[in-house]
Amino acid sequence: MGDLTKTSVHIDKLSLSYDQTTVIDALSLPIEEGKITVLAGPNGCGKSTLLRAIRRLHRPQAGRLLIDDIDIARIGHKALARQIGLLAQSPSAPEDMTVEDLVRLGRYPHQSMLQPWNALDGEAIARAMDGTGVSHLRHRRIGSLSGGQLQRVWIAMVLAQETGIVCLDEPVNHLDMAHQIECLKLVAHLNALYGRTIILVLHDLNLAARHADTLVFMKEGRMVARGAPGVLMNEETIADVFGISARVITDPVHQRPLCIPVY
Amino acid sequence: MTTIALTAHAAPDRTFRMPVIYVALSAMLALAIAASLMIGLKAYSPLQIWTAFSRPDASEAAIVITNLRLPRALMAPLVGAALGMAGVVVQTLARNRIASPDTLGLNAGASLAVVLASFALGVTSLPGLSLAAALGALAAGLLVFGIAAGAGGLSPVKIVLVGVTIAGLGHAFVEVILTTREAVFEQLLFWLAGAVVDRPISLVANGIPFVAAGAVLAAILAPALDALQADDTTAAGVGVPLGLVRAGAFVAISLLTGAAVAMAGPVSFVGLVVPHAARHLAGLRHRRQLIVAALVGAIYVTLADIAARFVIYPSEAPVGAITAVVGGIVLLALLKRRAA
Repeated sequence: MGDLTKTSVHIDKLSLSYDQTTVIDALSLPIEEGKITVLAGPNGCGKSTLLRAIRRLHRPQAGRLLIDDIDIARIGHKALARQIGLLAQSPSAPEDMTVEDLVRLGRYPHQSMLQPWNALDGEAIARAMDGTGVSHLRHRRIGSLSGGQLQRVWIAMVLAQETGIVCLDEPVNHLDMAHQIECLKLVAHLNALYGRTIILVLHDLNLAARHADTLVFMKEGRMVARGAPGVLMNEETIADVFGISARVITDPVHQRPLCIPVY
Repeated sequence: MTTIALTAHAAPDRTFRMPVIYVALSAMLALAIAASLMIGLKAYSPLQIWTAFSRPDASEAAIVITNLRLPRALMAPLVGAALGMAGVVVQTLARNRIASPDTLGLNAGASLAVVLASFALGVTSLPGLSLAAALGALAAGLLVFGIAAGAGGLSPVKIVLVGVTIAGLGHAFVEVILTTREAVFEQLLFWLAGAVVDRPISLVANGIPFVAAGAVLAAILAPALDALQADDTTAAGVGVPLGLVRAGAFVAISLLTGAAVAMAGPVSFVGLVVPHAARHLAGLRHRRQLIVAALVGAIYVTLADIAARFVIYPSEAPVGAITAVVGGIVLLALLKRRAA
């Protein structure tokens, strides 16, 4: 997997809308390659829509999205899926599908009629299952897994895609604290070990501050602030973006900002 | 999104099991076809069958075997294979395991076209009705696809809703025409129940290319169908062009069901029940599922056609009645297991 080249994303004056309602308004945002970027903001701020647009699942009203300086509008379905992987917010598959069959789906963009399933695909899914610690579950039906196990299987599916950019839309929702930590540790590990560019949507500000190289605060379809968590997370910005009053202290263990809502 | 819960946790490793399953099912199919040639109002020995094909003469046995038994012994498995594969594709397309080609209104379209051709255009010949059936199924498929796609995106729910509506309308029109025109053609009623008796072998020959085309298309779409079992975002995320694959799936279903309905009329429940057996034996990968569904469907309809010769002996029952009764019982058993 060492051949995964780092990939950068440039969002250039992008506008997104549902029907007539503008969700994202002329947003420009560079996303650094090989880094973890976390999109955060209140509900409805457009962060999930932006993530879908980055994966070209939402057609822009205006503006462009560039991957390594190429407009994604000009990239084919499978070629794009070899560059960006996306873990949906609440993905679903038949409960009697096996773990291995689900992880295999990640190999779809690497296959074609001229290039059917081969040993490389088998190695890729084995690596993905090893990396997420689900190899021993490969013949289990996904309906029989715990929430934490299932989330790791879905991450394995996205990993098997072997993309330089991995987008995860609220991957720790519905997970208990132990599984949240496990899941985000896995993401950080993937970034550290393979240099993949990671774009995360996270609700929990403290988890965001803990894991982000770059934090992007969004509000009402616009980027309010962008920067390292230590610089960005302060009481005024949090009050502005989330409309809450909070104290921000430095986490004594990791020296990251820690937000404590005051009410 | 609701999915079916199964009690067993681990699925068997199928890498080495699949070839055994293919061989066993093929052997069962060969036996079923042999039995279909031998058993009936009159029973023939394997030797008589062999003689009828190797040295055909004017004996009653030779004539019955080559003219009456052979067409249905070939048509039944072809129809079963087509409907089994169509059912697999429909259930994935609809993300609904009680969907079938009937759910998309294809059989209703075929029935309506046949009734109209017969009453309005005076078509009575079997090839004429067969063509009407194929065109009716295709027209219904296009209509459902067009309405569902036009209503803003081909979501599985929309496909099922539009399909069921068109199916209901089609059946209602058939009822209206048949009851207002009191002259009821026995041939037509028998046709509407689905049958493979008294069909010329040319109908089988006409059906083969369409079944083959549908099967090849389904096989090409198989990896994309694997991914379509997951939600749309996941499927699109791994690079599946959703609209294109759904359109292709519609074409495959229409070819397979259209060919089956043109040969035998609407044989119900095969496309509903066979995919369940296929998933049980082959798991959820579509290439495997399609092969097993073709074989199981072929065996099912061939055996049903043999049973049709005996249930109201000495008369013939329509094979569609047999597949419906057996299929209905199997479906109830499936629902009961799911509820448990």
